[in-house]
Amino acid sequence: MCITGRLAGNFVLATVLFAFHARAVADEPKPKPENIIGVHLTEPVAPQKFEHAPKFWVSDVTDRSGNPQPMLVLKSRGGIFLDRQPTIIVRESLEESLKSANLLAADANSADLTVRVYLFHFGLAEGSGLDFFGKVEYSAIVKNPKTGETAEVKATGTSIAKGAARKKNVQKNVQDDLEESLKDATRNFLRGQQLKEAVALLWKGGNEAQKPEANP
Amino acid sequence: MRIRTALVMLLFLGLAGGSAAKDTTAVFKTAEAKHFTGTEGVELTPAFYDYFYAELRSELTKSKLASEVIGEGEAVDDADAAKSVVITGTVTEYKKGSAVKSALIGFGAGLRSLKMDADVVRRSDKQNLSVFHVHVKVDPRWNEKTMAKFAAQQIARDMKKEFAEKK
Repeated sequence: MCITGRLAGNFVLATVLFAFHARAVADEPKPKPENIIGVHLTEPVAPQKFEHAPKFWVSDVTDRSGNPQPMLVLKSRGGIFLDRQPTIIVRESLEESLKSANLLAADANSADLTVRVYLFHFGLAEGSGLDFFGKVEYSAIVKNPKTGETAEVKATGTSIAKGAARKKNVQKNVQDDLEESLKDATRNFLRGQQLKEAVALLWKGGNEAQKPEANP
Repeated sequence: MRIRTALVMLLFLGLAGGSAAKDTTAVFKTAEAKHFTGTEGVELTPAFYDYFYAELRSELTKSKLASEVIGEGEAVDDADAAKSVVITGTVTEYKKGSAVKSALIGFGAGLRSLKMDADVVRRSDKQNLSVFHVHVKVDPRWNEKTMAKFAAQQIARDMKKEFAEKK
């Protein structure tokens, strides 16, 4: 009798746990046309003026965020998803901005400098709870393909957007927030002192390598 | 008659608002906020400093003290450097507070507290233009990021008072 009672108890407990798990799985947000947002640069960012105006080529953008769902921006309120992978968005923003200033090479072979981007964060970060805190963070390895010399350039973009109660407004604010932080990160990279120094260093190295050796 | 008086008053209020908005002109060409650091013994997460940096930039943009609020490490034209500032700072003290003390004693006991010093430095010659001491106290049950929000608001307000009035 006692054993039967225990078995029945365990069965009830297992059923309850299974029901909770099934409910949790059902609550997992899924991308639908109404909860997908497109993040783009509203206008290309004008890069800083370089002494020699080198041509760049974005060779690769790698996701190093360790986020298993990089396209899921917000889990609550039915979820908000990106329409494309963050790596594609970052690549597009860099290429658009470089192209607008005529600093984008036609292909990898004709580029003076190649840029390999490692993306560490793209999306919302933990904020005060009253607003949305957007953050885009990446590190780029700028390389002179002729000499093989490299330099690291870090870029961070942040933005704070006000919170909202209605789902429609939440979606709009999150989209604005991400676009602003993407723009900020692109500007931080293209107008940064680090890129200026990297270009000066790599350009100098490339020119010295090209010079013919003097005969004694 | 009353309606007409009310309309005239509304018109005056509107005009006053318009002129007040026009008065806010930028004092600096660019303002760069850097990530603040913590002194030894200050137990705040790196996420706090990240959030505070974002909040400070957001508040500086809202204050309209500078024509452009630039990101950390961005290059500035030499011509604009004399009219540009860099804001650096240190968190000197952070007390977590106690929810029990706050509930039982009240009157400010057990509050979460944060003290920081912010330096405003001219970009061209690195001259220190002003130092602001900020002290924020919040309920211990509130998120630490709320303190960052209040601290950033206070710095922007103090800067506006200091520089906009001097101007």
